[in-house]
Amino acid sequence: MPNPDASPAAPIISVAGVNKWYGAFQVLTDVSLSVARGEKVVICGPSGSGKSTLIRCLNQLEQHQEGSIVVDGIELGQSENAAQAVRREVGMVFQHFNLFPHLDLVQNCILAPMSVRGMSRRAAEALAVGLLERVRLGEHAHKYPSQLSGGQQQRAAIARALCMEPRVMLFDEPTSALDPEMVGEVLDTMRGLAAEGMTMMIVTHEMGFARQVADRVVFMDRGQIVEQAPPAAFFGAPVHERTRRFLSQILH
Amino acid sequence: MTLDFSVILDNWQLFASGLWMTLVVALLSIAAGFLLAIPVAIMALSHRRWLRTIAGAYVEWFRNIPFIVVLYIFFYGLPFMGLRLPEPVVGGIALAFYASTYFSEVIRGAVLAVPKGQLEAARAVGMSYFMGMREVVAPQTLRLLLPPSTNTAISMIKETSVLSTITVAEITYQGLVVQGATFAPFEVFLTTAALYWLITSAFAHGMHRVERAAGAAQGSQQARHSLADKYLQLGMRRSK
Ligand SMILES: Nc1ncnc2c1ncn2[C@@H]1O[C@H](COP(=O)(O)OP(=O)(O)OP(=O)(O)O)[C@@H](O)[C@H]1O
Ligand SMILES: [Mg+2]
Repeated sequence: MPNPDASPAAPIISVAGVNKWYGAFQVLTDVSLSVARGEKVVICGPSGSGKSTLIRCLNQLEQHQEGSIVVDGIELGQSENAAQAVRREVGMVFQHFNLFPHLDLVQNCILAPMSVRGMSRRAAEALAVGLLERVRLGEHAHKYPSQLSGGQQQRAAIARALCMEPRVMLFDEPTSALDPEMVGEVLDTMRGLAAEGMTMMIVTHEMGFARQVADRVVFMDRGQIVEQAPPAAFFGAPVHERTRRFLSQILH
Repeated sequence: MTLDFSVILDNWQLFASGLWMTLVVALLSIAAGFLLAIPVAIMALSHRRWLRTIAGAYVEWFRNIPFIVVLYIFFYGLPFMGLRLPEPVVGGIALAFYASTYFSEVIRGAVLAVPKGQLEAARAVGMSYFMGMREVVAPQTLRLLLPPSTNTAISMIKETSVLSTITVAEITYQGLVVQGATFAPFEVFLTTAALYWLITSAFAHGMHRVERAAGAAQGSQQARHSLADKYLQLGMRRSK
């Protein structure tokens, strides 16, 4: 449920002083970040820097050990109920799509609205078909994931997440498992979503996309947020040496 | 030496009743064993360590002793605890417990074979652990479950012969009775063997049909293979 106490001006995501360890290894070190409603934040950084861990903490697929994470007015880390309440409002798109292979696209989309939201089958199907059309998969609505290309599967995964009518969408390297010719169609879908005002947090190495769509780019390294800035400043005048090294590697 | 199968024909009723007893005991204890295996597997997959420990101890205990010893423990132990039951029931209960440990490992293996991202995706759209297991993971285990379950069930059908030692009048027991009366061991035990073969091969055949039906219902063989291929490719591309 949307939290009535959360004023529109308050950040929809606020992360403060978060630390997380895997055993003795610290994956996140004193991470603080806040995201306003409608903002698009791109997170980048070298492999193993904790980008996935950070966005997976936001819907508690991973638990943090210290610090606070508040999403849409709900404090996370206290209970599984809080985590589930947040997951109902926050959609996630995975690198490997993770569509349900035993269900066709419509069934993939209606499962959560029906079982979690208690929506009727008719209403859920109407919603699903509408969203599948929006990601240009209308004529594939009754196909199984295995019958689709990677790009189509990822667009279907976006539609599945949108069926919960989320207020925030998290993307964890949505295009890095795709063949190069399919990257564009997925990024286009994401651009459309951004244009409609969706709050988005996107882990990606697509720097062209970041330049166009992001309000802010966050650079992570070794579990820390090293630098964050609007794309013009981030790409034009990176402050930290580590950021510059990363950018020169990724942009050749 | 000549074989004279007329002794079998003379005693066909004993073999028929033995066959019936084996079928009933085997099917009921396999079904009960499978049902019992589900909570054991759920415990074994739990993230709570004490539940895993209990499930692990249960499985280890039964798997490291021969079925005949398990049977004797139930056969002498239940009356000791004040529970007097007919021998076929005691035998069936012992076999159900014994089978449950094997089935629980089969179920656990099938659940673990479903990619981790499936449950994560279910949870990410707001489903509870339980709902995700039921709606997303469990249906995908079905096809993985059938072949090893068939093998386990066939082993358990054969284990029913051990119930002859507590006088359950199943096929082996009746074979021993007829052999005692006729002194025609070859004829008797070849017949006994044929009856077991009949049951196990009919069962295997039936299960293969179920497997094929389940495969077709879940969007064809091709679905599974292309999915597997995709995961393999992604793994390779990622590790470069
Ligand atoms: N379950 C886990 N147990 C132990 N270590 C883990 C676990 N998950 C991640 N790590 C480690 O935590 C670090 C951060 O991982 P994470 O997946 O968040 O990085 P990332 O920035 O998303 O990297 P990539 O670009 O490769 O996806 C890595 O060093 C990884 O090996
Ligand atoms: Mg990652």
